[in-house]
Amino acid sequence: MNSNDAKHIAQQAASHESAHAAISQAAQSAGRAARSSTPAHGEFLTFRLGEEEYGIDILKVQEIRSYEQPTRIANAPTFIKGVVNLRGVIVPIVDLRIKLNCTSVEYTDLTVVIVLNVKGRVVGTVVDSVSDVLQLSQDAIKPAPDLSSSVDSSFITGIGCVKSGAEQRMLILMDIEALMSSEEMGLINSI
Amino acid sequence: MSNMNTDNNTASAAAGIDLTQFYQVFFEEAAENLDSMEQQLLNIDITSASDEDLNSIFRCAHSVKGGAATFGFTDVAELTHQMETLLDKLRRRELQATVAMVDVLLQADDALRAQLARHQGAGGDPVDTTNLLASIRAMQGGGVAKVAVAATTVAPATVAVESRAPAELISDLGTSPNGDSKPAALRVLELRVGPLNDVKDADNLVDLFGEIVDLGSIEPLDAGQASDGIRRFKIVTTSCDSELMDLFTFHVAREQVKLLEMTAGFGFHDGAPGAPAPSEPEPTYGFFDDAPGAPGTAHAAAGKPAGSTHPADAATAATATTASNPTLSASAPASAEAKGAAPAAKAAAPIESATLRVSIEKVDQLIHLVGELVITQAMLAQNSQKLDPALYQQLAAGMADLERNTRDLQESVMSIRMIPMSMVFSRFPRMLRDLAAKLSKQVNFVTVGDATELDKGLVEKITDPLTHLVRNSCDHGIETPAERVAKGKSETGTLTLSASHQGGTIVIEVRDDGKGLSRDKLLSKARERGIDAPDSMSDTDVWSLIFAPGFSTADVVTDVSGRGVGMDVVKKNITALGGTVEIDSAEGYGMSVKVRLPLTLAIMDGMSVAVGDECYILPLASVVESFQVQPGLIKTVGGTGRVVEVRSEFMPVIDLEEVFHVPKSDTPPATRIMVVVEADGGQVALLVDELLGQQQVVVKNLEANYRRVPDVSGATIMGDGRVALILDVSSLVRHSRH
Amino acid sequence: MHTILAVDDSASMRQMVSFTLKSAGYTVVEAVDGQDALEKSVSRDFDLVITDQNMPRMDGISLTRKLRESPHFKNTPILILTTESSDEMKQSGRSAGATGWMVKPFDPTKLLEVIKKVTR
Repeated sequence: MNSNDAKHIAQQAASHESAHAAISQAAQSAGRAARSSTPAHGEFLTFRLGEEEYGIDILKVQEIRSYEQPTRIANAPTFIKGVVNLRGVIVPIVDLRIKLNCTSVEYTDLTVVIVLNVKGRVVGTVVDSVSDVLQLSQDAIKPAPDLSSSVDSSFITGIGCVKSGAEQRMLILMDIEALMSSEEMGLINSI
Repeated sequence: MSNMNTDNNTASAAAGIDLTQFYQVFFEEAAENLDSMEQQLLNIDITSASDEDLNSIFRCAHSVKGGAATFGFTDVAELTHQMETLLDKLRRRELQATVAMVDVLLQADDALRAQLARHQGAGGDPVDTTNLLASIRAMQGGGVAKVAVAATTVAPATVAVESRAPAELISDLGTSPNGDSKPAALRVLELRVGPLNDVKDADNLVDLFGEIVDLGSIEPLDAGQASDGIRRFKIVTTSCDSELMDLFTFHVAREQVKLLEMTAGFGFHDGAPGAPAPSEPEPTYGFFDDAPGAPGTAHAAAGKPAGSTHPADAATAATATTASNPTLSASAPASAEAKGAAPAAKAAAPIESATLRVSIEKVDQLIHLVGELVITQAMLAQNSQKLDPALYQQLAAGMADLERNTRDLQESVMSIRMIPMSMVFSRFPRMLRDLAAKLSKQVNFVTVGDATELDKGLVEKITDPLTHLVRNSCDHGIETPAERVAKGKSETGTLTLSASHQGGTIVIEVRDDGKGLSRDKLLSKARERGIDAPDSMSDTDVWSLIFAPGFSTADVVTDVSGRGVGMDVVKKNITALGGTVEIDSAEGYGMSVKVRLPLTLAIMDGMSVAVGDECYILPLASVVESFQVQPGLIKTVGGTGRVVEVRSEFMPVIDLEEVFHVPKSDTPPATRIMVVVEADGGQVALLVDELLGQQQVVVKNLEANYRRVPDVSGATIMGDGRVALILDVSSLVRHSRH
Repeated sequence: MHTILAVDDSASMRQMVSFTLKSAGYTVVEAVDGQDALEKSVSRDFDLVITDQNMPRMDGISLTRKLRESPHFKNTPILILTTESSDEMKQSGRSAGATGWMVKPFDPTKLLEVIKKVTR
């Protein structure tokens, strides 16, 4: 690639960086402000996995980073991409798109990693894109229907309905902490 | 922290001195004294104890007593006082030491630890020392233990006040605290009244005091002269503070009255050098008449050539005139002063300053920072490699210096956390003594490699598993004296605990000459539990059966071990530390359990190798050699195993590409490289694509956020910021053995 | 400025005495036992010596005796801290040449008063 391409990508990354930075800020200040983290209602970070939009408790989000190729760990399940260096700390990276059997899994300059802080561990998850931080009131949340979604329904805490201009957005609200620390994820020693 | 309320605190708080700041030092000091005392008591030879041995034990108790009394820990002071009395008689040879005495003193040692723990906030019930105290007192009188005598008695009034040991005073004062309705013991208090506008008000107090029948006695301490408007009196009474305060506040405001315990005492020998003019005889201090330095004495005056009455001046004046006279150490007179500087400099390093107490957090932070420094240095080194050394000569030289300095710094810092195994071993003599006695066995405890060092973090984690192994040996391994003799063994069994370094690991072994493991028993037990245990099973595998949960072939479950919760937990603990456990046994002869642990070096020397397009790190300490290898030199054995010939020996080969399923590189090298590594007493040749280099790596924990990965001992961050996995050589070597 | 030599084998006691004296404005030099105290007194004089009695290597009474042998310390006030005020103990101190005695445990403020009496 020539230097112009590089500059262009850098610019894109930079604008994403600032968007990421903004969201990271929101996450951190939400964490600072709030006391209890009831997934029932509150602030959610929304992101896309393939066709579907998900929402997770903002308090579990530490920061957002661009995707960088992790160091592969042999014999790990395919959805565990490996580990990366996050300011001196070794953090595993999980690709939720693979775990949830999304049809297309690509790694582009726009691919994003949500760095989570769950159960005292720092874990990153790859998603297609991050949307925004939303405040959902209790009535905006409906109970999750009993559908065989790609996610084990025990991790789904509800469906959020938000009007975005003319659009009606349907957010699958997920208990990301429970999912990440579940045995099937294999992130934690089972001993 | 509860229980910090002490008598002295009130007194010194009044004077603005907070004693609590010295508590920590006292607790540490007391712990050391108790450890030392325990050690000495365990090692003492009853029949031929030397004067110095007994003196030394006495001093331990004495020292703890002094501090405890000063800082107001009356329970500790009381117990140590009794111990000290007994020990004093022993060191003066007024009593003969007996095993029973040693036992009681050891028990008292334990009780003291518990008391001190409570004072440090450990919580729990107060330690009941009634029986202990009774036993000790009985022994002081030459009697036997366990006499049901009540604890310290209250001394009679008046006369006794002066000559009673302060410890007795304390325990009595302890039984009649403020506001308590216990039967009164005599108390000696200092009353301070003021600042008063009219010092005559104080006299009113005295009158008032005298009007109350049986209140006690009051007399001035200041010969009627107030200083700074404050009058001082000595009160001897059986009343509690609150009663007295109620009385005094008739005439003066509460804030103007202070009652202080006069538990301390002092005295000047009238006429002694430096002693002040003889004043009111105090029970707790005194000056000797005519002693040098005694205040306002003839001698003090005579001692000075210039006629001033200041003892300090006298001293300095004396120095001036005697500068040319011989000094204490009879060194050459003229150079005495000059020489003084040098010995002072040397002597200025007392025993204490050879060590420094530092909090663990500070050390860990230091290690962390050094780790970051190493990463930064590696990054700089990597980036500066691209520069033309001819042009950037000074930079290159600087980088070389930096690397050396960083390495030295790293080694120094790592060694801070290393402590000798003797710290781990130290708890076992006592434990075994008690255990052997309980089980009626005779055990000789031997330690080897006390000086072997290991990381402090490991020490704490390894103590429990080791304790279990030692208990096991004593309980299930070593037989009773009768059994041993019947087998032709010596009455006393031997339990050996040893530690040594092997490569990057520490090996700790627990070995006994007891009855060992029974192969048959283990096999049948395994079969009972449905475990597949064919007769062809190797010995090593049979011994490993005891690691199965709930597995115990103990015939009788003692309360020591044998509930079968042991060995599997031991193995789990060791494995969690990244170590291994090996068992070896010979029925009838004994058993050995070897624990191998990686020395958790947060920073180590690594060799980076390329496998496919990936980079892996090998601990340099385990690398023996490396060489290029033609494919043809690798032979297959038994269909799956591969070996390579190294100097007419065949060594197993492990292809890292296979182990880690590394995708093939687009540009594989023409010839691959063999790296021979050694671990666990075995060698293996690892097949890699390229040797990348050697550097210091900071070992990062993979399990903090992820999990244990097979064949990987940790991770590191390379100069380019990427993560590289550090391989677990022991585990790879074990691969090859199957 | 008065300089005091404080001798005690117990670190916590030494620290406490040292702190107490320093708070009152004295300069303090610490020694861990009689031997150490002697070594420190080779090159400098003190306005007062406070020493514990029971110490390893050399106890308080022996230290006092040794100090009195030197002209530099012939008249220096020396206080021995004892755990009992028996006549026997007092007598030993006196015959060794001590200036006075003080019973342990003591109230730090009392210590200051006693010191004031001899250093004015």
